[in-house]
Amino acid sequence: MAVLETFYDVMRRQGISRRSFVKYCSLTAAALGLGPEFVPQIAEAMETKPRTPVLWLHGLECTCCSESFIRAAHPLVKDVILSMISLDYDDTLMASAGHQAEAILDEVMEKYHGNYILAVEGNPPLNEDGMYCIIGGKPFVDQLRRVASGAKAVISWGSCASYGCVQAARPNPTQATPVHKVILDKPIIKVPGCPPIAEVMTGVITYMQTFDRLPELDRQGRPKMFYSQRIHDKCYRRPHFDAGQYVEAFDDEGARKGYCLYKVGCKGPTTYNACSTVRWNDGVSFPIQSGHGCIGCSEDGFWDKGSWYARLQDVSGFGIEASADKVGMAAAGVVGAGLAAHAAVSALTRARYKGDDV
Amino acid sequence: MKQAEESTRLVVGPFNRVEGDLEVRLDVVEARVRAAFVNATLFRGIERILEGRTPMDALVIAPRICGICSVSQSHAAALALAGLMGVEPAANGRVATNLILATENLADHLTHFHLFFMPDFARPDYAAYPWHDHVVRRFAALRGTAARSILQTRALLLHIMGILAGRWPHTLAIQPGGVSRGVEAQECMRMLTVLSGVRAALEEGLFGAPLEEVAALTDVEDLERWRSTGPEGDLRLFLRIAHDLELAQSGRSYDRFLSYGAYPGGLSADDGQRLWPAGVFAQGRVGALDIATVAEDHATSYMTDRARPNAPFDGSTVPDLNNRQGYSWCKAPRLSGQPCETGALARQLMAGHPLARAMVAQGGGNVMSRVVARLVESARLVMTMEGWVRMLVPGQPWCNVADGVPDGRAIGMTEAARGALGHWVQVENGRIARYQIVAPTTWNFSPRDGAGIPGPLEHALEGAVVREGERTPLSVQHIVRSFDPCMACTVH
Repeated sequence: MAVLETFYDVMRRQGISRRSFVKYCSLTAAALGLGPEFVPQIAEAMETKPRTPVLWLHGLECTCCSESFIRAAHPLVKDVILSMISLDYDDTLMASAGHQAEAILDEVMEKYHGNYILAVEGNPPLNEDGMYCIIGGKPFVDQLRRVASGAKAVISWGSCASYGCVQAARPNPTQATPVHKVILDKPIIKVPGCPPIAEVMTGVITYMQTFDRLPELDRQGRPKMFYSQRIHDKCYRRPHFDAGQYVEAFDDEGARKGYCLYKVGCKGPTTYNACSTVRWNDGVSFPIQSGHGCIGCSEDGFWDKGSWYARLQDVSGFGIEASADKVGMAAAGVVGAGLAAHAAVSALTRARYKGDDV
Repeated sequence: MKQAEESTRLVVGPFNRVEGDLEVRLDVVEARVRAAFVNATLFRGIERILEGRTPMDALVIAPRICGICSVSQSHAAALALAGLMGVEPAANGRVATNLILATENLADHLTHFHLFFMPDFARPDYAAYPWHDHVVRRFAALRGTAARSILQTRALLLHIMGILAGRWPHTLAIQPGGVSRGVEAQECMRMLTVLSGVRAALEEGLFGAPLEEVAALTDVEDLERWRSTGPEGDLRLFLRIAHDLELAQSGRSYDRFLSYGAYPGGLSADDGQRLWPAGVFAQGRVGALDIATVAEDHATSYMTDRARPNAPFDGSTVPDLNNRQGYSWCKAPRLSGQPCETGALARQLMAGHPLARAMVAQGGGNVMSRVVARLVESARLVMTMEGWVRMLVPGQPWCNVADGVPDGRAIGMTEAARGALGHWVQVENGRIARYQIVAPTTWNFSPRDGAGIPGPLEHALEGAVVREGERTPLSVQHIVRSFDPCMACTVH
């Protein structure tokens, strides 16, 4: 673990070609919303600056977040992530076991004190003094506090770490608690999603490596470049919403024609994430493309907002004035009316969303 | 609890390269494990969270028990709901569901072998063996060439998941009456292309032989003969290691195997008959499975309701840290009062695969037979999936929709990569009144029951060799990983 090693050194050692490296830099620049002029800057940072060590801890969780990048992501992104974390500590993948593994954790913490990034997957349960999640004989919350104390920043990777997720759903038997309610004195970047999109992780780490600062966050602490648009804004089925064409039941005529899934419960209109642009499994697809509505898995509280198969208008707090049926009826006569109604609704919803959030 | 003789206690954990958190306590006497206590150290209470919700929401919450076997969880939930609703899936829906589930199971088998199991043989402790350099090149954790190439093969395989189910992990496509999305003829072609890519990669790297050749192996001598026919492929490398380290003599448990049967509609899309049947295998014979005899014992779990074993329909999940005998969050499932081993080996035994039967006849369930069965099953799965894609009929229905879930109770039984998975669901007044899940690793990594009988892994660890100075004994690691545990599912 040479101190002066760069990300580029590590990637090359892992067999990533120069060509792939440059491609990664361009892909990441694009994903971060930066112009092509930033590609050389990113490349230079990755080539010359000492690698930022990343420690990866798992609390109460299902490992879906790790799986999202090991199995599902673009091969290049997966390689890069593995290079970023592999040398340090990740208990799902690392080679060593038991006490040896714990010793590595201590060593990295000491050597890079104040310089490493802590990525947390899952969250600490606080009931019964943390006994619901025991790592190395001690409650996970202790490990989390200890490792966070020397970290430069914390990435809450996934909805469990960011918000609590389904394990924190009523009645939250273990009092599963998101990371930011336990770690109060460190910058926290939330990357919600159940699971989150792998490209966001590499993007955030690369950004910090390049610019020596945190990416711009929204009021909830999410990187703006990935969470500023709703699934609905870039959904390929959006024209059908605007035209009032809806799926009423799985496998009906509308489903076969790829109509909008709003009436079978799609939460795309209230969900901020990049699924409809970045997509999943090498960019092959995303849930809406499989004919199932978005369940809103990157939104706080998505697990306790009523049935996923009920449409949004039944959910309190969503300020849609015209119901989908009404929009549909209007659209049958004048398509333009539907469009206008929807635009107004979107603006209203956004305003309320911001209002709730302060 | 000191033994009268010189006994050492070892606590092994946290266990890496397993899915989730695990700790194993060992009592060691004269360089061998005398008793093992397996502790699942993570509890979330998903069953409790499901209570009181709309039944259909189980399709979203239950899969989130596990990011590894989420499709299996989703399948079990859909089967239980279908049972309640009295819905038969559409023929296409059945086939598509099987393809989605097989994709996950195959991906899990490949992950287990390449990323979790084989890297142990790259440890310096084995440097003296002639195969060591080769293993390091192929399997050293995160650096080995095999690990790298399998990640690519797996990402390719998961395109099938993308095409049929939108995304993975936490797919939403599987519904009680089928799947949420139908595919067109050109997407069927894409899936066949993906499968042929997967086939080529596995034949080249893992098997060093056509899949058909591996699937057709008949007995232990045949396997040995096949190994000597060439140097190619990681399976042969493993067989060589298994021979040198006597892995067939390691990790034997009760030799009582359980399977709920895998892939309903796997033989013909028109009925629910399973590709590989359900059953119980013991003393060389397959017996019928009586699901009503499943009960969970809480005697050594941190749970209330310890007076007697609980049938899942009467079961509960109420944590209780005051249990003096308790040492795990995991409950102890028993079939007619007996612990059972479950997994790929069990499935292949029920399916009557000659090699699986021959291996078990010779040495029972052990580190080697578990791993070999998993790889033989992988070869068979790819072949079967190619046939399933051809069974899809674009333009025909994909989902039979029924309205509402009536009150009642039903069991959804399926097979995850690591074995038998069941959801016991009871609905009252339109809400989930009870939801009990018995997962495969709950069976395999069960703690002791009220009669003091150890779970399958605990039993398998008895007698494992602990070498001088070992704090995390290698033999113990091989045995633990041979079960392909998934701890997130175990305690949910």
